[in-house]
Amino acid sequence: MRVPLGWLRDYINFDLSAEELVDLLSLHSQEVEGVERFGVLDGEVVVGEVVEFGPHPDADRLHVAKVDIGGQVVQIVAGAPNPYPGARIPVVLPGSTLAGIGKIKRARLRGLESYGMMMSERELGISDNHEGILLLDDNYETGQPVEEYFPVGETVLDIDVMPNRPDLWGMIGVARELAAILDTDFRIPETRFETGGEPTSDYILRVEAEDLCPRYDLRRVSSLRSGTSPIWLRRRLYAAGMRPVSGIVDATNYVMLETGQPIHAFDAGKVRGGIVVRRARPEERMTFLDGRTRTLDERMLLISDEERGVALAGVMGGEDTEVGDETTETLLEVATFDGRNVLETSARLGLRTDASGRFERGLDPNMVDYAMDRVTQLLCEHCGGRAASDTLSHYPKPVKAWEVPLRIERTELLLGTPVSEDEAAKKLRALGCETRPEDGKIQTTVPTFRRDLRREADLIEEVGRLIGLDRVPEELPGVFSPGGLSADQRKVRLLRQLLADLGLAEAITYPFGPDRWESDLTGDERDSREPIRLQNPLSAEARNLRRVLLPGLLDAAARNRSFGVQGGALFEVARVFEPDPPSAEFREAAIRFRMTGETGGEVPDAASLMGVSETLKVGAVLFGTVQPAEWNTPETRAGFFEARGLVERLVPGASFEPGVKPFLHPGRSAVIRAQGSEAGWVGELHPETAEKFELGGWPVAVFELDVAFCDPDPEPRFKPFVNVPAVGRDLAVVVDSHIRAGDMLAAIRDLHSPILAGMRLFDLYEGSPVPEGKKSVAFNFTFQGRETLTDEDVNSEVERIARRLEEEFGARVRSS
Amino acid sequence: MDATERIEKLKTEALSAVAGAGSTAELEDVRVKYLGRSAELTNTKKSIGRLPAEQRREVGRAANLATREIEEALSEHAARLTAAEREARLKAEAVDITLPGTPYPKGHLHPTQRVIDEVVDFFVGLGYRVAEGPEVETDYYNFTALNIPPGHPARMMQATFFLDDGLVLRTHTSPVQVRTMLAQEPPVYVIVPGRVYRRDSDPTHTPMFNQIEGLAVDRGLSLAHLKGTLAAMARSFFGEKTKTRFRPSYFQFTEPSVEMDVSCFVCGGSDPNCKVCKGAGWLEMLGAGMVDPAVLEEVGYDPEEYTGFAFGMGPDRMAMVRYGIPDLRLFFEGDLRFLRQF
Repeated sequence: MRVPLGWLRDYINFDLSAEELVDLLSLHSQEVEGVERFGVLDGEVVVGEVVEFGPHPDADRLHVAKVDIGGQVVQIVAGAPNPYPGARIPVVLPGSTLAGIGKIKRARLRGLESYGMMMSERELGISDNHEGILLLDDNYETGQPVEEYFPVGETVLDIDVMPNRPDLWGMIGVARELAAILDTDFRIPETRFETGGEPTSDYILRVEAEDLCPRYDLRRVSSLRSGTSPIWLRRRLYAAGMRPVSGIVDATNYVMLETGQPIHAFDAGKVRGGIVVRRARPEERMTFLDGRTRTLDERMLLISDEERGVALAGVMGGEDTEVGDETTETLLEVATFDGRNVLETSARLGLRTDASGRFERGLDPNMVDYAMDRVTQLLCEHCGGRAASDTLSHYPKPVKAWEVPLRIERTELLLGTPVSEDEAAKKLRALGCETRPEDGKIQTTVPTFRRDLRREADLIEEVGRLIGLDRVPEELPGVFSPGGLSADQRKVRLLRQLLADLGLAEAITYPFGPDRWESDLTGDERDSREPIRLQNPLSAEARNLRRVLLPGLLDAAARNRSFGVQGGALFEVARVFEPDPPSAEFREAAIRFRMTGETGGEVPDAASLMGVSETLKVGAVLFGTVQPAEWNTPETRAGFFEARGLVERLVPGASFEPGVKPFLHPGRSAVIRAQGSEAGWVGELHPETAEKFELGGWPVAVFELDVAFCDPDPEPRFKPFVNVPAVGRDLAVVVDSHIRAGDMLAAIRDLHSPILAGMRLFDLYEGSPVPEGKKSVAFNFTFQGRETLTDEDVNSEVERIARRLEEEFGARVRSS
Repeated sequence: MDATERIEKLKTEALSAVAGAGSTAELEDVRVKYLGRSAELTNTKKSIGRLPAEQRREVGRAANLATREIEEALSEHAARLTAAEREARLKAEAVDITLPGTPYPKGHLHPTQRVIDEVVDFFVGLGYRVAEGPEVETDYYNFTALNIPPGHPARMMQATFFLDDGLVLRTHTSPVQVRTMLAQEPPVYVIVPGRVYRRDSDPTHTPMFNQIEGLAVDRGLSLAHLKGTLAAMARSFFGEKTKTRFRPSYFQFTEPSVEMDVSCFVCGGSDPNCKVCKGAGWLEMLGAGMVDPAVLEEVGYDPEEYTGFAFGMGPDRMAMVRYGIPDLRLFFEGDLRFLRQF
């Protein structure tokens, strides 16, 4: 709501700067988003009379005027060609400051002295018209300050009105609010107008869709003349953010801005028979004020005459009955429509207007009377109108003020500060409520324009903000339960910290992606099912919910590559989404649950009705040179083992088994198993997948794990140890190349050697002198017994290991 | 030459040999030569018994004295040599200490997550638990149960992504309030971090962002408790000198509703050209309020017995303010030039 302060002063006296008002409103009512200034900020504008007007001798586009500014004739250079000798025009004197222009100085323009400036409507803040100099009529006396006729500067507050306060969508409501904050009075303009115009009852009014139209009033105003509105009115509309159009339209807009009540004026001469308020027929078409024809449906409320639609209720008028220069009489519609219906209609048509924004919040039907009289008054005063003495009104169920009791102890409890009964009652009365004590409570009668005040808590909020929230002290509740993270939450925290400390960077990526994500990562058994789709994605590129973290991370890797990064490692802990639709028999129950929260008796449980299963995953992508070489360390490049090492750190005891994910390198990937289940996968990216994600030719290794299987810091358990020296031994064997190291390690473990305390695979070698098709695998063992081991003890155990490797894998011990 | 003179001569020889030894190895040779098993002095001591009785005492004494003197000289000189040798060795072992150390990579936690962790830890310290909920949410939990029935204009304010019938991507973390209250009896003290979604994309809005929601329901909770809690959090997050203020606001699921501003932690309101607060002196921080009685009733709590407060803040924006990040979109691009700064 844009509030021109000059206009606001019609209703309330205040002696505050714009900045003070901003603070007051922000701290007690609504946030003020900005302060805008128009016209003359400082200085003087006088009425001048043009004495001479002609072209500038040295500039094609400039003109020179001699202007009488009251006993003194000055020379002014102007760009506009429209002044003429005898014209009265506004002249801003040198030394004045204009909004958006700055200080006006005496200047020389192309060699000629110019004293001040003749002003356009835009420069005066009347409209955005900058076509020519504003021509004043003969009522303006030469030499007089223009300020005596209309204000030449304006300050506008842009108030961000919350949706529960439609009453603040009008100047009167703002004045009432400010008066309550300042503890002062405000006034509403009286309405008086001459009747004697043609009777409204020549037309009919029939409301067929009563459920969508609580009130509809119609009044005829005749003998109108065309023309523009007076300057003071136009400049107010402009400052409030509307475009002045014509006398009739401006009057309706002015009263809308004043009261918050939208008003529509039909050209009565074009309305056939009268007004019928009904639902539109299927496929009914109407051409709107904006010149566009739209197709309506039977859910929409239409204002029609006996033959065709003339306005879409609460949204926009129709072109056929639009008022124009030739209009001599109008039917004024002041009505209240069902807010939700207006909201839905404007959403369906994608047509939001100033009016629809007001109606959809729900307006007070009792505002109709004042708005009708007020707009009638303006039409009579400014457009020569004569009002009908009758008004057709449909208002079958008048809304009456309601009562809400307020308990002072409840007020003090919620606000956490002492409040006296007198004080609370006074604040409520300042807002237009009536109060009386009753049974130890403040019985409050709420005016109908405050539809948001229904309950005690609503009144308490009003009292709180008016006494000032700064009065609320700071206290801390005494919490009697221990706080903390759950074990799972601690685990996630640890997981993230650990991966970061291992040198990875934590990313957060969007969970929506294109269809391509699905096709590029398909091949899995579950992919016969559709992903979860957004019905209204921002674009087709973001319409499916991800079922793996991978694509977002790959896109990020590609983005980094395109910016010249040599490599790196990213991880994300986030959810993936799988469809989990309820079976057909529970489909209805699912929708009921989703809309109402209710679960019927025979339905299994709420989770199964959600239709989506969300799983928390940790995923990582290593790409390019993860760690560059330093002078004493080699570089680390993204590869299977770099990724696998991370997985081993996150899932102790994980086993790695072959298992082909279509997007991974078939020979360099594994399925991760833990606790008997599939916990995730790890591997290098399939070259084709890499190309699809613009990572072709780069080493990329990835893994993804179900967080449930991760256990980065398992609960330790003490095992006794002995103070006996340990003995180290190496064993190198030669086996066929295809023998898998993991199988050998497992075979050794399976010996359950009583003295084998540790082992490492420390060397792997193929090539001369190892015969082709063979490889050398070297182990280091640590032996320790209950007592000091002898050489024989150790040798015989190493031999036992060698024997097992020979039996199982054909391993031959390499002599050193 | 008698025995004592011989001993004296050996001693003199030995002492000069000790002094002349240039390394610990040479010194060892000297020791072997003069005090070793087959050294003359050693032999002399061994043969004392064969000397006439009147000489024994004198020779013995001379031999012992000489031995002790040589030993002392040896050990003194050894200490000197060892020290010199150690020094030389250390000198030779010197490295270029200006070379960089072996790299142990620094962790990079996402700036938003850093804020979330810090805020969560603060509330955990106050006795809150962490609650979580699904990101795909039902219409009921996301709106209706929060006093935003179908057709309510407040739904328009939260541009919603719709899924299958009755499902949405949650537009705020507030549905977790409802889920939490349905699952337990009061008192409730929970903090709820999470990702939320709105159908918005422009320089200051991303279709996904993060929220931290807080909810407390107990006997006798008031706006003063809310104010004290949030002011303490602001001081913890922005510094001890941070001031806070409440402004009235509107949320469908709180009544009264407030917004909280914090004093600008950069200029404190003293700089009209401050880049952080743009001269206002205050930064909009979060929305909050007393839980609306309709919400309490919806979950089966008696609003006469229990009151509560709820608040919601944006950790992305808090990170922007805290770390001086100009553009929200940077948060979700996975760009290492960005992430590596945190």
